[in-house]
Amino acid sequence: MESLLQGRGAVRKRLLFFILLGWALLIVGDRVSNVRLFQGAEIAMFTIALASIVLLTGYSGQVSLGSGAIMAVGGYAAALTITNLQTPIWFAFLMAVLVSATFGAVLGAAAARLSGPYLAGTTLALAVGVPALANQFNFLGGEQGIFFDVGFPPERFGSDFSQDKWFFWISSFLALVSIFITSNILKSRFGRTWQAIRANSLAAELAGIHANRMKILAFTLSSALAGLAGAVLGMNLSLVAPGAYPLSLSFALVTGAVLAGISSLPGVMLGAVILVAIPEIADLVAGGLGDSEKVTTHLPGLIVSVLLIISVIFTPNGPGENIRRILHKKSAH
Amino acid sequence: MIGKNRRKRTWFAAAVLAAGSLFATSVPANANSTGVSSSEIKLGITLPLTGGASFGYKKVGDAMNAYFEYVNENGGVYGRKIKLIIKDDEYSQVKAISETKKLLESDRVFALVGALGTANHKAVAARFGLQRNKIPDLFINTGFSGFANRAQYGTTFPILPSYAMEGKILAKYLKEKYPNKKTALIYQDDDFGADVRVGFATGEYKFTQEVAYSTATIATDAAKIVSDLKTLGAEVVVTFGVTQATGAILGAAARVAFAPQWVLGSVGSDATTLRSLGVPAQVIAGAEGASFLPSPTDTSDEYVKLFQEVNTKYNKNVSFDNNVLVGMNTAMLTVQSLRAAGKNLTRARLISAIQSKGSTFASAGLVPLNYSRTSNVGYNGYWIGKYDSSLVMKPVSGTLEVWTTDSAKGPVVKSNFKRPAMPAKGLPTNS
Repeated sequence: MESLLQGRGAVRKRLLFFILLGWALLIVGDRVSNVRLFQGAEIAMFTIALASIVLLTGYSGQVSLGSGAIMAVGGYAAALTITNLQTPIWFAFLMAVLVSATFGAVLGAAAARLSGPYLAGTTLALAVGVPALANQFNFLGGEQGIFFDVGFPPERFGSDFSQDKWFFWISSFLALVSIFITSNILKSRFGRTWQAIRANSLAAELAGIHANRMKILAFTLSSALAGLAGAVLGMNLSLVAPGAYPLSLSFALVTGAVLAGISSLPGVMLGAVILVAIPEIADLVAGGLGDSEKVTTHLPGLIVSVLLIISVIFTPNGPGENIRRILHKKSAH
Repeated sequence: MIGKNRRKRTWFAAAVLAAGSLFATSVPANANSTGVSSSEIKLGITLPLTGGASFGYKKVGDAMNAYFEYVNENGGVYGRKIKLIIKDDEYSQVKAISETKKLLESDRVFALVGALGTANHKAVAARFGLQRNKIPDLFINTGFSGFANRAQYGTTFPILPSYAMEGKILAKYLKEKYPNKKTALIYQDDDFGADVRVGFATGEYKFTQEVAYSTATIATDAAKIVSDLKTLGAEVVVTFGVTQATGAILGAAARVAFAPQWVLGSVGSDATTLRSLGVPAQVIAGAEGASFLPSPTDTSDEYVKLFQEVNTKYNKNVSFDNNVLVGMNTAMLTVQSLRAAGKNLTRARLISAIQSKGSTFASAGLVPLNYSRTSNVGYNGYWIGKYDSSLVMKPVSGTLEVWTTDSAKGPVVKSNFKRPAMPAKGLPTNS
């Protein structure tokens, strides 16, 4: 029975699960409105972004507040590729992954010696600075940004196939593929090595693990995921601009990861749903508080911040951990 | 084993929740008459209510609403009341996209009207395929000349004269009035600024110095820009920016006693807004600028008088300025467009109505409207004015001279346009 947990059997089961999930999304996609399809695409985007945080922080223990910056790198890479080279969509996303992975490798090498608050501070500076770089260089489009046009859905899908549905399909497909790959990596010895480093870096080194190298690898792979998420974000907006990757995005991602359980991958979908739901909830609440536009603008940010504080205080490992503890206590009696 | 089951359960639960949360089916209404019911017509606008460009512009939405309320109380449009849904886009493209999404798909508006901001609206038009999905996009609050391109923006009806037109007309004026002076242009670093530079280039006018600014940093950059121009010895400075940026520049200039002849681009020239930004009155007095509407303080103008009354009654505690005038003027044109489309109101009929009858609509504009089956261009000209000591803009030569042109290489010509009389009580009765 134990052998089912490792080896090809588990991978095959996971593959089947993801294929079934893909089917379900296909069917759902046919039945919902454009608004929901757009939200679905957003959820897919957040799923990929949260996965990058789970890998980096949950597994290898490196705290990064700069996911937004890496997403920007990926987004701009994809937009520039499509706009300037007119390549097919998949190539643009591939470029996003490669460029942001490279960026992550360099960043990881620089950050490998930092830890805790120092790493957090460095990545925070990136989150603020990198999107603003676009204003300095003309080819990056400045404040206006660059259009990210993946084109219309293929004609064989018919004229009723909306742009939103097309984005939903592409986003969901990329989310499924990247989560599948990530979950395999995390279940492998790479994942266990990272967890060892996170638990006790020195002990891991003594056990023969090259901590620095593995940390850089974690940064690279996590950045690849974040870059892909950034490209998906750009596609959904048909635009990459500094305003699409604000500081609040990095904070929202960290909050989502903590809420959903930072050290386990399955929670990323739940975290993504929560992140997309927050502005909707804020709208409802703001509607009840009177129609002030200022409230509607700032309420989502407030909710995210409050949730982050609450979850860090009460459920630092995610609500799953607390639930498990309660159930365990119950069963022990 | 236990770990595996729990993990699997979490995956399943998360997946089901994610997929299930998308379930909110809605049968799409007939797109052509979305937003129209027997009692109501829903329209939507995105503009900056908060943020770095909101000063002044944020009044436009409420001003439009005030006029719509006036019309609603007097029978509406064939018995239907107009409901304008106003969304704040903070002058950010990303927000413009998300708020327009709500307008089009949650609120399901019939048409977009008065969308503000060049970069924002380009992003929105691209993202939502306004042309492809035949969504009427009326009287946008941006003068970017590219929006008149019918192949790309066939359902978009600009109203403001384009920035390229303004550049050409100002170029002619600068050449004639200030032929040998050191001149400078301050412009925004995006398509809005690029458009006016095209106009100046077509008008064959060269500035001694051209300076770009970014809305994100103008508050801190203004001092340096002004001191550089002072060092240069600029005698005439043309500011082509949003009101907040213009206010920052004028304020910085006042602080270092730099007083060239100011020529204010129409977008940022409203005196009331500039005053509320802290610009001293004596800096604004004497400044020149281009306008296509009567001065908002000219109560001898029948349109201004009526709009001021509507503002007092339906838009309490809001001071009447150029932004309010523009808003109400646009609203009046919107009402006429809806009326011209007929009682059987569809998007296609609205677009067709503006093309065939738009040039005859009554409006406060002192320049003609140019809508036709082959042109989506709205106003196409300006008169040049100068602020007097009480901050009322008067024609610079004493008598009103209106100049019209196009956004391309056509000449700047004097226009004999006679503005149509206002419908009684400002309530359109056209069909």
